[in-house]
Amino acid sequence: MADYIVTFFSHFGAIRYKKETEQAKLDSVLMPVPRFLSSSCGTCVRINNVEAGLPLPSHPDEIESAVRLREHETYITIWDGSRFTDICD
Amino acid sequence: MKTSKKELIIISVFGILTGIIAVSLVFFGNPANMGFCIACFIRDTVGGLGLHSAGVVQYIRPEIIGLILGSFLLSLVRKEFAPKGGSATITRFILGFFVMVGCLVFLGCPFRMILRLSAGDLNALIGLLGFSCGIGVGVFFLKKGFSLKRSYRQPVTEGVAMPVIAIVLLVLLVTAPAFIIFSEKGPGSMHAPIILSLCAGLLVGGMAQYSRLCMVGGIRDLILFREKKLILGFGAIFVAALIGNLITGKFNLGLTNQFGVVAHFDILWNFLGMLLVGYGCVLLGGCPLRQLILAGEGNSDSAVTVLGLAVGAAFCHNFGIAATAASKSADGVENVGGVSTTGKIAVIIGLIVVTIIAIVNTFQVFKRKSEQ
Repeated sequence: MADYIVTFFSHFGAIRYKKETEQAKLDSVLMPVPRFLSSSCGTCVRINNVEAGLPLPSHPDEIESAVRLREHETYITIWDGSRFTDICD
Repeated sequence: MKTSKKELIIISVFGILTGIIAVSLVFFGNPANMGFCIACFIRDTVGGLGLHSAGVVQYIRPEIIGLILGSFLLSLVRKEFAPKGGSATITRFILGFFVMVGCLVFLGCPFRMILRLSAGDLNALIGLLGFSCGIGVGVFFLKKGFSLKRSYRQPVTEGVAMPVIAIVLLVLLVTAPAFIIFSEKGPGSMHAPIILSLCAGLLVGGMAQYSRLCMVGGIRDLILFREKKLILGFGAIFVAALIGNLITGKFNLGLTNQFGVVAHFDILWNFLGMLLVGYGCVLLGGCPLRQLILAGEGNSDSAVTVLGLAVGAAFCHNFGIAATAASKSADGVENVGGVSTTGKIAVIIGLIVVTIIAIVNTFQVFKRKSEQ
């Protein structure tokens, strides 16, 4: 199980992906992008307790970045520009 | 995910320091309640360059230079300098233009609104109400799908353009060639020593870059996420400046007694001016201070917004849009100031234009969805 944060170029991109994660029955929440991830102040989606990877968004061009969270505000980037590259622990 | 205690402490400390610096700048010579005012300082700088001819508001403000360079330098140190842009450039310019119209009808940016409030100016409370309503309207469009589309990575030259402009302004300020104009009376003639203003700008610019301090973001995040971090910074500036004003004897509570502090008492237009500011800024993604900080970090979209603010300022003073401050002459004759008909028309046009931008850029999303 892993927790992820996906950041977007627009607020609406985040809202749309949040709905898609809800449809995939994932525990997700909209929130401001944490400072340790970026100096930008956009909106992100945090997805908790993911077992089998993240659903690819319907509009991948709206994703700015995606990370798998580790301890103490560290993370692994899992977005290569077109898909999620992560394999859950 | 809750905001960490460390982040809350950092933004509170930064807010307190920013409030103290703002009051100190007034103590050392800046106009009343104008330790920082991004709108007024951009307007003064534009005047100093001769782009408007209002003789009392012309001076290249070192605070603006410092804010951009402070953000630029810290973002370099933290490896966060990232040239990017290309998101609705002209739309951002127009929004910046009308945000400045709103600011100069109210007589202050959101930052100065807090400083005015901390000095007891209740007209700023009216402004805050309008500002919050404007943010609320903007958030409505955000939730409905408003987007100015994505930005893209850009060459370093795009990112460093605004910091280089800031350095050029600094050279012009220090060398003061003949074509640069400095006011000899009025608010433009009142300023703290250059080195003090520059250091204040650098310090606040760095702190704002680190903490993402934003007057619009505070209320926006509270409405959208119930997130209190940014508004805590807002509150910390207010409390520190309030205490500073009480200590320095600058606190003067009231609505219609604010003479000589660059304010007017027209409730409706104070409200509507700041409504336009809140509305425009939430669509832009940040207040004028935040736009300067992002421009320093290499964001050319914000740099264009700053240029929109600058051109807006020139128009406001060349066409009598900016409000007149209440004043009292030496023999006690009161002039309550206020907003000209041109200024009122400009605010109404601004509200209409911003609404059209909001609808069009929300509607485009729906169109894209239906196409798919």
